[in-house]
Amino acid sequence: MNLITRRAAWAAIVFLAVGASAVALAGPAFASHVSVRTTVPAEMTVGDTVRIPVALSAADGAPLQGATVVFYLHASFAGVVGEAEIGRAVTDETGAAALPYRPRLAGQHEIRIEYVTPGQGAVEEVSTVFDVIGGEQLYRSAPGIDIPGLNVGLLIAVVAAVWTILFGVALLLVAIARAGGEGGAPGGGEAG
Amino acid sequence: MAALSAWQERLEETALAPVRRTGLRYWALVAFLLAVIGWGVYAYSIQLRDGLIVTGMRDRISWGLYIATFVFFIGISHAGTLISAILRVSQARWRTPVTRMAEFITVVALVCGASFVIIDLGRPDRVLNVFVYGRWQSPIIWDVLAITTYLTASITYLFVPMIPDLALFRDRLSGRTSRWRGWLYRAVAIGWVGNVAQRRSLGTAIGVLMILIIPIAVSVHTVVSWVFAMTLRVPWNSALFGAFFVAGAIFSGIAMLIIVMAILRRAYSLQEYVTEKHFVYLGYLMAAFAGIMIYANISELITHGYKMEEGVEFQFRQLFLTQFGPLFWFYLLGGLVAPIVLALLPRTRNVPGMVLAAGLVTTAMWIERYIIVVSGLRVPLMPYEPASYAPTWVEWSMLAAGLALFALLITIFTKVFPIIAVWEVAEDHEAMLARPDIARPAALKTPELAEGAGR
Repeated sequence: MNLITRRAAWAAIVFLAVGASAVALAGPAFASHVSVRTTVPAEMTVGDTVRIPVALSAADGAPLQGATVVFYLHASFAGVVGEAEIGRAVTDETGAAALPYRPRLAGQHEIRIEYVTPGQGAVEEVSTVFDVIGGEQLYRSAPGIDIPGLNVGLLIAVVAAVWTILFGVALLLVAIARAGGEGGAPGGGEAG
Repeated sequence: MAALSAWQERLEETALAPVRRTGLRYWALVAFLLAVIGWGVYAYSIQLRDGLIVTGMRDRISWGLYIATFVFFIGISHAGTLISAILRVSQARWRTPVTRMAEFITVVALVCGASFVIIDLGRPDRVLNVFVYGRWQSPIIWDVLAITTYLTASITYLFVPMIPDLALFRDRLSGRTSRWRGWLYRAVAIGWVGNVAQRRSLGTAIGVLMILIIPIAVSVHTVVSWVFAMTLRVPWNSALFGAFFVAGAIFSGIAMLIIVMAILRRAYSLQEYVTEKHFVYLGYLMAAFAGIMIYANISELITHGYKMEEGVEFQFRQLFLTQFGPLFWFYLLGGLVAPIVLALLPRTRNVPGMVLAAGLVTTAMWIERYIIVVSGLRVPLMPYEPASYAPTWVEWSMLAAGLALFALLITIFTKVFPIIAVWEVAEDHEAMLARPDIARPAALKTPELAEGAGR
């Protein structure tokens, strides 16, 4: 095999690999007897709600109606890796179903879509991966009750009042020291 | 008049005796305490080197022996507040000979307690984060504010009534003690000669402090309780926690005061001034607070137990039957019921009986703090297996070192500062001689209560 032939062979392998990856990510995915098409945006932002559509069709191209589609998110939390079910949908007369999804974390999200073909009862699956960007804080605690005057200012006022009194005591100690320096009639070494 | 003068002279000699004479037993005690503290320093160095992994604390039970001991020490710091402030406000004359000891306990316990928070941090440098990143809305910040204010006020409240006695030491020990002591007494007596202006200022300062320190002390332990009660944990979810902690603090403070009184009374021959009456009166107070604690426990347990919300059953099971059962029953029976019995039975209403009761209370109150901290964190927040916690040798060593530091600081205090409020005892004695119908001689009476206290 000469150099040109080898290059052509490598180019063909790379082309096929890239093509297969693209098909796997953006569908259609060919199961044994149904084809699945799912398309997601290449990039999403934390907090945006997007629809993850799925279209199921039979091998002859006819839409599959009434199929249950289950969506799982591959996730890791606190050292535990696994899948969490994030929703279900049933295909309509066009074979389409969709899951509204609101990503809450930035990073790569991998969603596995599982479906049961009507009549056949076989469980088949396809996966899709997309990136989520952004870092918006989505959780907002309830505002609570705002009672006028009952706030940090009051706390600071109380603490300041206490320290002011303590400072007053310090001034009394200064007065004691000064009174000792000035002399005066002794009171027997006792306090009153 | 001659009798009064002789009595005054004897009182002053008693107060000066610890400073004048230091026996071999004192140095042996100091050496022993320093050895225990040294062992604790070694244990702490291990913790600093390897981190908190050397303790039994982990992610789920993240507070243990250190925080329990912190709460315990802050609790016993209330001894000074009760004896010095509340009894001073209520003009209970019998308090005067034990006032100073109570104030010592307050300051020393606060220092020891605060150090356990820093030990619990693992990285002591991170204490700065409280000031750099602290938020006013956080109970931790309230805690820091309350404790620093209380420590400042307590040191001031220890110092101010001591000024006339420090002047006494300055005058009586002048030229008869070491140079550094002479300098120290001259400095801290701040020129006291007892003239009218000084006495007026001193009286005002004491009056302001004794009123001010009571709400500060109450706020301290209330805020300490909020560190727990404002966390979303089933056993800590109680509005009663603040009052419960304050009552427990005064309760354990009285117990510690009785123990310290007994030790100092024996060590420095203070039997003439610290009489059986003081132990019995404090024993009555301790029994009264035991009653309040029993009431608070019943109220708390029945309120939670009747509703039995999720997690409460687990908590009750571990308190009464399983994990913490022996400790919790000891706390209830040995720490709350037994002291009342000891204070009420005529046979045990004496110094050994009250010291025994105080020992039980002190042990039980430390256990109670441990149970509150650890059992509270052990209740699972999700359906997983409950975590376990057992203190390691490092934590036990730190506890021993903390107790040794407490004892050492008290021991050193007694060798440097007057352990009896001489001028207050003398004033009380003079008032008693002038009006024998209004006050029993606190500093002179001893024998009657031994057989018939309170009968």
